[in-house]
Amino acid sequence: MTKRVITLSVNGTDHPIQVDATDRLIDVLRDQVNQKSVKEGCSTGDCGICAVLVDGRLVNSCLMLAAQCDGRRVTTLEGLLEDPTMKRMQGNFIANNAAQCGFCTPAMLMASWDLARHSAHPSDEEIKVAISGVLCRCTGYYQIIDSVREGCRRE
Amino acid sequence: MKFFNSERPLLWQTVVMSAMELYSPSDLNDALRFIEHKDGKVAVIASGTDLIPRIRKRQVSPSVLLDISSFTADLRYIRRADGIVRLGALTTISDLLESPILDGELSIIREAATLFGAPQIRNVATVGGNICSAASSEDLIPVFLALDASLKLVSAKGERTVPLKQFIVGKRETTLKPSEILAEVSFRPPEGHSWTAYEKLGRRNMLIIAMVNEAICLTLEDDLRTVRSARIALNRVSGRIPALALRTSDFLKGKRVTDETIAQAQKVLASELSLTSDFRGSGAYRTEVAQVYLKRLIERCARHIGGLS
Amino acid sequence: MSEQVPQLLDSLRAKAERGELLYIGENIVRVDSLEKVLGSPVYTADLLPKGTVYAKLFHSTVPHGVVKRIELGAARSHPGVLGVLTSKDIPGLNESSAVLLDRQLFADPIVRSTGDILGAVVAETSPAAADAAARIKVEYDRMPTIFDPLEALEPDAVKIHEEGNVAKQMKIRKGNVEEGFVKSEIIIEKTYRTQFQDAIPLEPEVGLAIPEDGGVRVIGSMQSPHNTQAAVAKVLRLPPEKVRVIQAVTGGAFGPKSDETPYDVCSTAALAAVKFRRPVYCGMDREDSMVMHTKRHPFVISHKTGVSRDGMLLADESMIVGDTGAYASLGVFVIARATFHTVGAYEVPNVKADSYLVYTNNTYAGSLRGFGGPQATFAFESQMEELARKLRMDPLEFRLRNMLVPGKKNATSAVMDASCGLPQCVQKVVESSRYREKVARYSNQAGSLRRGLGIALLMHGNSLGPEGNDYGAVHVEIRSDGSVSVGSGLTEYGTGAISGLMQIASSVLGVPLARFKLERPDTSKHRESGPTVASRVVVIGGNASKAAAEKLKSKIVPVAAELLRVDAKDVAIADGVAFDRTHPSRTVQWDDVVAEAYRRGISLKEEGFFMAPPAPWDHEVGQGTPYVQYTWGALIVEVEVDTDTGYYRVLGAHTAYDVGKAVNPGGVLGQIYGGTVQGLGYAMMEELLHKDGVVVNPNLGDYYIPTSMDIPAEFKAFIVEVPGPLGPFGAKIIAEPPIILPGPAVRNAVLNATGVSVDDLPVTSEKVLMGMKGPAARLG
Repeated sequence: MTKRVITLSVNGTDHPIQVDATDRLIDVLRDQVNQKSVKEGCSTGDCGICAVLVDGRLVNSCLMLAAQCDGRRVTTLEGLLEDPTMKRMQGNFIANNAAQCGFCTPAMLMASWDLARHSAHPSDEEIKVAISGVLCRCTGYYQIIDSVREGCRRE
Repeated sequence: MKFFNSERPLLWQTVVMSAMELYSPSDLNDALRFIEHKDGKVAVIASGTDLIPRIRKRQVSPSVLLDISSFTADLRYIRRADGIVRLGALTTISDLLESPILDGELSIIREAATLFGAPQIRNVATVGGNICSAASSEDLIPVFLALDASLKLVSAKGERTVPLKQFIVGKRETTLKPSEILAEVSFRPPEGHSWTAYEKLGRRNMLIIAMVNEAICLTLEDDLRTVRSARIALNRVSGRIPALALRTSDFLKGKRVTDETIAQAQKVLASELSLTSDFRGSGAYRTEVAQVYLKRLIERCARHIGGLS
Repeated sequence: MSEQVPQLLDSLRAKAERGELLYIGENIVRVDSLEKVLGSPVYTADLLPKGTVYAKLFHSTVPHGVVKRIELGAARSHPGVLGVLTSKDIPGLNESSAVLLDRQLFADPIVRSTGDILGAVVAETSPAAADAAARIKVEYDRMPTIFDPLEALEPDAVKIHEEGNVAKQMKIRKGNVEEGFVKSEIIIEKTYRTQFQDAIPLEPEVGLAIPEDGGVRVIGSMQSPHNTQAAVAKVLRLPPEKVRVIQAVTGGAFGPKSDETPYDVCSTAALAAVKFRRPVYCGMDREDSMVMHTKRHPFVISHKTGVSRDGMLLADESMIVGDTGAYASLGVFVIARATFHTVGAYEVPNVKADSYLVYTNNTYAGSLRGFGGPQATFAFESQMEELARKLRMDPLEFRLRNMLVPGKKNATSAVMDASCGLPQCVQKVVESSRYREKVARYSNQAGSLRRGLGIALLMHGNSLGPEGNDYGAVHVEIRSDGSVSVGSGLTEYGTGAISGLMQIASSVLGVPLARFKLERPDTSKHRESGPTVASRVVVIGGNASKAAAEKLKSKIVPVAAELLRVDAKDVAIADGVAFDRTHPSRTVQWDDVVAEAYRRGISLKEEGFFMAPPAPWDHEVGQGTPYVQYTWGALIVEVEVDTDTGYYRVLGAHTAYDVGKAVNPGGVLGQIYGGTVQGLGYAMMEELLHKDGVVVNPNLGDYYIPTSMDIPAEFKAFIVEVPGPLGPFGAKIIAEPPIILPGPAVRNAVLNATGVSVDDLPVTSEKVLMGMKGPAARLG
């Protein structure tokens, strides 16, 4: 059985990984690099809860073949736990009751963090666009939007 | 050259595939030679946003995937020179949104890109992928048809240029030869008194496969009332094929933009459209909406050009 | 924040001195929030031990037939496959049925829908299992099919089950509708239809089974560990003690995870675990889930309603038909709730209702948030709107005239008491939405964009009511380090209800929530408390938690009293400090009191139990008190319709719920926002479609739920508190109600904007446009 070895940089650490042609980035992240924050909700790229950053861009990891990510930089929530912007965002999520079942929360945080990097005072419309690719079934989005609005403000 | 073939039967989720190979060529020429070698029996994958869900839903089961996503140096660019705009096939939807070049009469591209999918999809979906899938679900095709775009197709044996309007010949069917890859989309920004506009209708506001997706490029004569040309394109004209509404365009040529002519044009469009029903919406409803959009798009362009009193 | 702490402590102490509730009514940080924002590996799929193998379910491809042969050769010999389980591999009972015993785990020999499970492939990897499953070939003798529930009612219809196609029938006979119609100056007869909705919990149904000493440990995503334990034990033919079930952190539920699907998934995993002596993960992906789990029942509801010329409701006769698909699941109770709510939040002196839960060959329906309420309320609130228009009366006025207030009787002749907060809810939303001003403004509109407002009112009977004994137990233990551990068979899956439970205990004991730990529901540790459904946690669990905490308090206070050298009656505890009420500066730390109690050998582990009083009602005539208390609500939405395309947006939503007492206001609002948006999905865009019994859109690209771009720009939610008789501190349930009103409110708003009555959900732009173009349409 021939597998390909790729090098995937995950949260700043290089991982040499054996992959099959059909392994998706989400499979490799969860099963081989143990990034359990990356969730699978639909397998067709429609729900966004598998979202991670690849080379600084938010993408759905269930739509990328692992082999296509050779040499690229992946960032997951685990890699941002010490980041001050992320901590501020997480604190706001907690304070505003923005995590109910929690299954969309990692992806929501990734999308929110991505927005916060680019904008300290996004409008509500901009926040909604930033999270429009991550589905939430529990919260109705309002408390998430409140959290992101506050979380983007730099202290 | 990186090539591997897993000997055990590989599987994509619930699809049975006896052996799926993934070939990641080192550059475009390598890719083209590989395609020759495989007699064209490959499925090109860039972002995977169209292909992977289709594989997952068991609509296709390719045995060889050719990964071209790394050719950004060769194929990802937005250039404007000598009166021609050129988009490399790997240009992403986000690239389109962020480009300062695509403004003014080209703002239709940004309008369409804003309503395209969601951020994660826009970051990876490509112009080339949109066009080659040739599906009525691909938002940019009507836009590029309205802009009368041309496609540069390359193969190991050379290259050729074809108009987009001749490229799509059926539902998910193009004249792309098995040995070819789409390398570039180009068009001339409309000249003279021109403007472009776009409308989209779905079941919700974002992240939808459109029921109706309509684009126009309107050019008026110097009197700012008479139509010099009106290129109108929809995601579906006949069956499920994205195409230009040629009869409607022909009708409008030389006519003055008035409520009367727009109403007549709507009727021509209704007779030109032959739309099927599916679970998203009926053919009759889509035809109604397409007519409404025609009026809106013409009026919006005419107003912008300054001709509508 | 740190500067606020002394003020907080002072205010807490002041409250404790006065004997007031401490943390009830305060926004709390939920105990489970931290692990969620950290992305911690706490869901079932994150917990797979080394060596786990994978089970992939395979299901019928025909909607009705007898299985003649299943070809397993290719699957069995597929590389990586350990084996294939079918009905022949079940040592116990081949049953997986929530109520009526009408459903098997692996269908054999009859399949009644394309969601019927035939077996499972077990393999070393998930792709191998799925690949092998795709290689299985099944031969069927096809049987004739029925997909329309009205067709299933016909006398010569194909029988889907031996006993016939009616799984349950209910009745209401209140007063005399014939006399009522005679007196009615206006009568309207209309039929309304609702669609299959999928709950779409973002985590599909999954389970992990690990073989252990003669039995099995099961970890899974579910609403009821004890029900799952019973189901798995039955299939495996093991005594329940040998099946330990633990609910993992669950990524959303909304109903289907309290029905058969967790039994299916966990029983399959357990069967494979025992057979192959390996840990087994049986996970559904989204498509599996949407095909195989329970949906919301589609209903066909016909009303004939009579009113007097001055707008008093006089009589209503309804026929209510629910399509339960191939199996009844919880449909037997869904039909009951729908029946009792047939005239909603209004007093109608004469009511006749006949309801039928009917089998078809569609995939099956069961629990989904609202549980019959959304369907019944859509029908009657739409009917109310039609009546108002016929009467040429303002829809609000018409509702005010007839709505339930203290003293009036609902459809089952239960008399509403002082705890009915409906008028307050209505007042709040009318004010917030500027209803009267806008209705006046919108009565005269020009242009192609038209706006309209729509109202709907809610009566929602609390808890299980007629569905069975409603009880629950909560264990509270004060550990030697002073932390407090809370455990229950009741489950958390996003509602925050378990945090609310803990908040209650925290309040009674006077110890901050930060010292509390939640135990994962575990059948080996926690008493059976019924399924976590019907929003029952705050009422049943809350009361049980309160009882346990009070028992503990009665043990702690005497110890504190001795340490403080005061009488027990002078002891107060707030924020982890015990103090003398008469001399508040004399304090002793909670940890010291606990240490002393331990030193004395006092047991600090208590179980609180609560059982709701019986809900007696006459089954013959559907009269009595099937519910002991009610939640009330009101919603006004404003829509703007593009009358050229039928496309519309909800500009604003104004809503109020009488929740008795909001234990955690932030949590209550979360349920209101989330439930309302899920209800907007039901109203506007969601429908799970079958074609010839096959699900057409079992994926999230073709089944649409609201995204952040679909929510109303303006959303005002109000909490009304009129204490109820049943819940702790007067609390009423809130988890389900908010999903119910958007359906009719949106439909009525569109009607007021365009003159188009859309009588079947969802209200799509196509139905609106085609309605305007049709003969019945009239604008303005």
